[in-house]
This record gives sequence, C-alpha cells and structure tokens, in this order.
Amino acid sequence: MNLTDVKRKINPMNWVLFASLFLTLNACSTIPSVPNPNSIPAKVEQLGEMSYLHVSHIAAQKRKQLLFVQAEISNSDSDNQQLFYRFKWLDANGFVIDNDEAWQPLLVYAGQQQTINGLAPTPQATDFRILVSSPDNTGNP
Amino acid sequence: MTNITSKNTVIIALSTALLLTGCANQTPNLSSGNVEYGDSKAVETLTNQFGSTDLQSIAQSMSNSLLQSPALRAKSRPLVTVADVKNHTSEYIDTKAITDTIRAKMLKSGLVRFAVDTSAMQNQTDELIRQNSGLYKKSKSKKLGQMEGADFRIEGTIASIVKRADDVKDVYYKFSLQLIDNESGVIEWADEKEIRKTSNQSMF
Repeated sequence: MNLTDVKRKINPMNWVLFASLFLTLNACSTIPSVPNPNSIPAKVEQLGEMSYLHVSHIAAQKRKQLLFVQAEISNSDSDNQQLFYRFKWLDANGFVIDNDEAWQPLLVYAGQQQTINGLAPTPQATDFRILVSSPDNTGNP
Repeated sequence: MTNITSKNTVIIALSTALLLTGCANQTPNLSSGNVEYGDSKAVETLTNQFGSTDLQSIAQSMSNSLLQSPALRAKSRPLVTVADVKNHTSEYIDTKAITDTIRAKMLKSGLVRFAVDTSAMQNQTDELIRQNSGLYKKSKSKKLGQMEGADFRIEGTIASIVKRADDVKDVYYKFSLQLIDNESGVIEWADEKEIRKTSNQSMF
C-alpha cells in the first residue's frame, strides 16, 4: 500500500474536519486571558509597552478614609530611564472619580528601584489604576 | 456630437461639485491651522523656568502630605485658611496659583474646610454689609458677627538655586509649607517639595 492508496482511503471530508479543528484550536490559543483583578497587570495601564521599566510591586491600604497606594518601579536597563506616571481613581462601582491628576516625571537610575505614592482624592475612591509611559516605549515612533 | 459634449460638461460639473463638497470641513472646528489644544496635564519641558508641571507636582505632593497629617485628623473637618507663600526665587512665580490648587484638592476630599483668606476678605465683608444694608429681609439675610475663625493657617516659601557651567544650566526649586495652629502658634505640620531641572544648551 502506498501513500496514494492511503489518501484514497481517507475520506476528503475528514481533511476538511481536521483542518477546521486545527484552525479552531489555533484561534483558541490566541484568546487573551483576563488578568486577575488583584494582580499588577490589572492595575497598570501602559501607554505603549515599556522596554526597560517595570512595575514590580504594588501595595494599597486605606489610611483614615483615603486609599493610599505605593508602587515600585524597576529599571532593568544599564542607562537611566525617564518615567511619566499618574493615578486614576475609581469608586466601588467602577466609575472613574478622578482622572484629572497631572502626569508626574520620575528619573529612575540604571538598575534602580524607585517608589511612587498615590493618595486618593476622596474617601469614595476604592480602586485605582496606575498609568505609566516611558519615552523608550516600544510603541513610540 | 453637441449632445455628447453637453453631457460631458454636465458630468464634469457634477464631479467637481462633489469633490468640492468632500473638501468641506466635516468637524466642528474652525481653525487657522496654527493653533491646537494640548493636554493641560502633560509634562512640560519647554524651558527650565518654573512651569505648569512644577505647579501641579508641588500642589499634588503638598495636598497629599497635608491630608495625611495627624493635626488635620485630630478634629473632624478642621477650618483652615491660606496665608502667603513668599517667593524667594529670582523669577516671577504666582504662588497664589499653587495654594489655590492645594486648597481645591483638599476641599475635594471633604475632610477639611477652608475659611476665606485675606485676599477674599474684602469681598466677604462687602457682601455682609450689602445684606445688612436694610434692603434685605432680616430673616433672609446673613447676620454680622457669625464668621468662624480658622483653626489653622497654611503658609510657606519657595526658593531656588541656579547654577551654570559651560552649556549646562541647573535650576533647583525648594517649596516649603507649614501648617500653624492659629491659637497656640505651634507648627503642627511641615513638608517640602524639591524639583531639579537641568537644561543643556550644547549645539551638538
């Protein structure tokens, strides 16, 4: 029995089924997974993928009615990096309370870990997002 | 032949009309092409003089620090007033703009109340005098002698150090703010914000 005989024996419809199954599985593998709402990726909004700066740690705590957030920024490059950041505050229902903070510049030395702090503007803020942007983003022209 | 020529003319005229309509402005924007709106919250590094980002950064830092100070937490919604922030730099800086932003941020929190400051006192007294001039119903007008004295006042200074070497100019700002108890004169809180701006005027 040769290959031609094998091909004749297999129903052509099966090839279509196999091809459809393969394409479906391939598509399933590209569906992005939803990040855990309490993980760092869920709290950080990057304006372009930062090449060298990473948010390595976030801690949040209610301090006498106001939400206090502290994040650690790590620079994995051998050069100094510039970061622009600001905080966005949300209430318990997910509505944005304050998206009016000014962008803050921060110089992170080579290999350094810098800390940034944010304090909610009102006691109604129960959630936050940290918006970050770096001139060395891969998305920049 | 004449029919074909007149048909072509109509087609060309119609096409031109359609093209021109397509070129008309589709957005609600009347522009000369030289002006555009930018982001008021963007980081500004046009010059190394005091700028919008410095103002925003100082106000953010100071208001955050003030809101966390134990002195303002000891009493529910204490009354604060804003005194002068003196400019000790060599450039013109509107320090009232900085304190106005600090006051707005703190008022938004709902945790602190503010009394009118010295600059707004004239308006306050003018309004009270007007309401008590006999023109208003006594039951509907605000009474004299009911103003509340502030528990604390905020005052401070801004200073700078400017240095030049070859093509490099370095400007260092230091903004200092204090919260003072009006009755005892005790400084209950103090904080500083430092900013450094460096410019390089090298041609290469």
